[in-house]
Amino acid sequence: MSAALVEVGIGLAALALTGYLAHRVSLSVIPAYIVAGIVVGPHEPTALFGISLTLVSETEFVDVLAELGVVLLLFFLGLEFSVDQLLADRRRILAAGTVDLVLNLGVGIAIGLVFGLSVVPTLFVAGVVYISSSAIVTKSLIEQGWIANPESGPILGTLVYEDLFIAVYLAVLAALAAGGGDAATVARDVGVAFAFLGVLAVGAWGGTAVLDRVFAVESDELFLIGVLATTTLVAGAALTLGLSEAVAAFFVGAGFSQTGHVDRIEHQVAAVRDLFAAFFFFSIGLTIDVTVLPSVAGLLGAAVVLSTATKLLSGTVSGRFYDLSPLRSLRTGIGLVPRGEFSLVIAALALTAPAPISDVVPPFAVGYVLVMSVVGTVLIQYSDRVTDTLVPVAPTRD
Amino acid sequence: MTIYETEVPGVGRKFEMEIDGGQRLVVVLHHDGKRDVYLRPDEDADSEQLFTLSGDQARKFGSILEGAYFQPVELDEVAVPLGEAIIEWHEVDDGAELAGVSLETASVREETGASIIAIQRGAETIPNPAPDTRIRAGDTLVTLGTREEQSEFEALIGDE
Repeated sequence: MSAALVEVGIGLAALALTGYLAHRVSLSVIPAYIVAGIVVGPHEPTALFGISLTLVSETEFVDVLAELGVVLLLFFLGLEFSVDQLLADRRRILAAGTVDLVLNLGVGIAIGLVFGLSVVPTLFVAGVVYISSSAIVTKSLIEQGWIANPESGPILGTLVYEDLFIAVYLAVLAALAAGGGDAATVARDVGVAFAFLGVLAVGAWGGTAVLDRVFAVESDELFLIGVLATTTLVAGAALTLGLSEAVAAFFVGAGFSQTGHVDRIEHQVAAVRDLFAAFFFFSIGLTIDVTVLPSVAGLLGAAVVLSTATKLLSGTVSGRFYDLSPLRSLRTGIGLVPRGEFSLVIAALALTAPAPISDVVPPFAVGYVLVMSVVGTVLIQYSDRVTDTLVPVAPTRD
Repeated sequence: MTIYETEVPGVGRKFEMEIDGGQRLVVVLHHDGKRDVYLRPDEDADSEQLFTLSGDQARKFGSILEGAYFQPVELDEVAVPLGEAIIEWHEVDDGAELAGVSLETASVREETGASIIAIQRGAETIPNPAPDTRIRAGDTLVTLGTREEQSEFEALIGDE
C-alpha cells in the first residue's frame, strides 16, 4: 500500500511540475503530462546522472485512474455537445465538417496505406490524424482573442461535427479492435456497435426527464458522487459487454446535456475530470517506450507534414462557407491544427487491440500528439507571420 | 438590436450585440462566472478585449449600466414606488415551494411578471442574483413589478 501511495505521489508531483513548466511557456499541459509519464515510467529514460528514473510502474491502480479520465473526457464531450447549435447552423456545419472529414481522415488513410499498414491499423491512424483537440483549440481561441472574431464560427462548428463523428468512429474502432477475424465477424461486431449506439442515443434522449428529477439533490457531495456513479456504471457495463466505454460515457453526457444540471456539473465535476484526465495522459506516457519511436519515424514525419497541410486547407475552405475573408479563412485552418486528447483516446483503445495495431498505433499517436499539440499551439501564437506569408498567395474566389 | 448567442463547449457562452456604426460588443461568459468583454470596431477588424470581470463584479457593473443600482433599504418600508412598478420585500417561509429552487427553475418572471432584483440573506445582499442562485428558506426576496404582478408573486410563494 505504501508503495502505491508513494507512486501516486510521485506521479502527481511530476504532473504538477511539468504542467507548471508548460504554463510558463504558454503551451498545452497535454504534451507536458505525457512527457511526465515517459520520464518517470518504466521505459527509457531509466536513469539520469546515475539516479533511477523508473519511479512509477504501470499498475492496475493507475490504469483505473486513467480509464476514469477517458470516461470523463468523453462524458464532458457529450455534456457540451450542442444539438441545438448543430441543428440551427446545420448547413454550414455540415459543409465545413465534411470538407474537414474528407481531407483529414482521407490523408490519414492515404498515409497508412502508403506505409504498408493493413486496413484496420490504417483506420486507427486516420482517426488519430483526423480529430483536432477541442481542449487545446478552445483554450487557444480564448488566449488569442479569436473567440470574439468571426473565425470562431467555422472553428467551433467543425469541432461539433468532429465530436459527433468521433463518438460513432470510436464505436466502430472498438468493434474492429475486438474482432480481427473474418469479414463476417467484423460486420457483425460493427452491427452490434451501431445497435448499441442506437440504444444509447434513445436512452440519452428519453432519460432527460428522469435525470432531471433524480439529480435534483441539495447536497453538492451527493450530486458529484451520483453523477460519477451513473457515468462509471454505464461505461463499465458497456466495457463488460465488449463495447466502447468511451462512447457509452459520451451518451451519458449527452443525456445530461438536456437537463438543468449542466452548470452544476461544469462547476463540480470539471475539476474531477481534470484530475483523472491528467492521469490518463500520464499513463499513456508510462506505456510508451521512446526507443520504438524511430520505427514509426517515417509514418510520423509524413503525418505531421501532410496533416498540417490538410488542416490548413480544409479550414481555409470551411472559412469560405462562412463567407470569411482569406485571412480569417486561413486562421480557421491554423486554429484547428492542434491534436490532443481524442487522438490519445484512440491510442488507448489501440493498446487493447491485438498486434500489429498495439505495436504501431500507440507510439505513433503519442509521437504525433507530442508534435502536433506543440506545433498547433505555436502556429496559433505566431499566426500573424503565417497569414502575412500565405494570404497574399492564397487563391481568391470571386 | 440583435443579440447572437453561441455555446462555446468547455468554456461557456458567447453573446454578441450589435451597437452603432457596425460595431459589436462581444461577451464571453465562462462557466466559472468570469466575463470577458470585447469590442469589434467593424466587421473586418479583429476584436479588442476591453476588460475582464468576475461574476460578482459583472453583476454589480451590470446593475449600474441598467440604472438599477441601489443601496439596501430599511425593511420597515415594504414598498417603494417606481412609476407603474413597485419594489416589495417577501420572506420565504420554511415550507415554501420556492425554497431550494434555483431562480432559473423558479422562472418567477415568466410565471408572475415580477422580477427578483435582489436577495437579502442575513446580513448579506445579493444584488441582481444569477440564474443559478438558489432561493433558501429565510431569504427575503426583493421584487420589482406592478401591483398585479406583486400579488401574483405573493400567491406563488404563499405569502399573505
